[in-house]
Amino acid sequence: MADASPSFALGDRVRIVDLGKAGHVRTPFYAREKVGVVDHVCGAFENPEERAYGREGGRRVPLYRVRLMQRDLWPDYEGAPNDSLVLEIYHHWLRPAREQEASR
Amino acid sequence: MAERLITDIGGMPDGEVPRPDVPMLFWEKHMIATFNVLRDKGVFNLDELRRSVEGMAPEAYKKSTFYGRRLDGMTDLLVEKGVIDREELAARTAEILRAGTRDHG
Repeated sequence: MADASPSFALGDRVRIVDLGKAGHVRTPFYAREKVGVVDHVCGAFENPEERAYGREGGRRVPLYRVRLMQRDLWPDYEGAPNDSLVLEIYHHWLRPAREQEASR
Repeated sequence: MAERLITDIGGMPDGEVPRPDVPMLFWEKHMIATFNVLRDKGVFNLDELRRSVEGMAPEAYKKSTFYGRRLDGMTDLLVEKGVIDREELAARTAEILRAGTRDHG
C-alpha cells in the first residue's frame, strides 16, 4: 500500500492529529492537536501499531522528531517561554500546519 | 475517541513520584535475560510486549512493578501464541517455589 501524502522536511510546521485509534499507539494524548516543527527526520520504520499484533514485515512509515513548545502543551506552564519538548511521531499522525495555525 | 492507554499518563494529576532504591532480584535479571532471548529469536517483538502490558487490568497494572508487568505481559504473550500452557506454567512455578529460589526462601 503506497503512502500518497508527502513526507515532511526539517523545519516544517505540523499538527499532531488525534486518530482516535484503539490498540497500541505511541502518540501521547497530551500532544494531540498540538502544532510543532519537524526537528529531525529519523528514517522509516515498520509501524509499531501493526507490529504490536505480530504483523511484521509491513510497509515502513516515516518517523519524525517534532519539537513542541512546553507552553503550548501545558496551559499553566511556568518555565522559560522557549522551553520545548521533542517527541518521536509517525507520519500518519501528522498533518501540515499553516504558519499562523495554533495548538488546540 | 479511543480510550487512553493505562501507560499514557503524561499531564495527568498525580502525587510525588516515589524513587525508592530497590536492589534487583535474581528472578528479575533472569526474566529480562529470558525476554531478550525470546525477542531475539523472534518469538515476539517489543511492540507486542507493550501491547500486552497495556492490556493488563488497570488495578493489576497499578499494583505491579516494572518487572512484574513485563513478566505478566510476556507470559500472556507466550500463552496467546501457544508457546506455553497456563496450567503447565502454574504447576512448574509451584514446584520451583516449593524447592525455594534465591528470592523466595
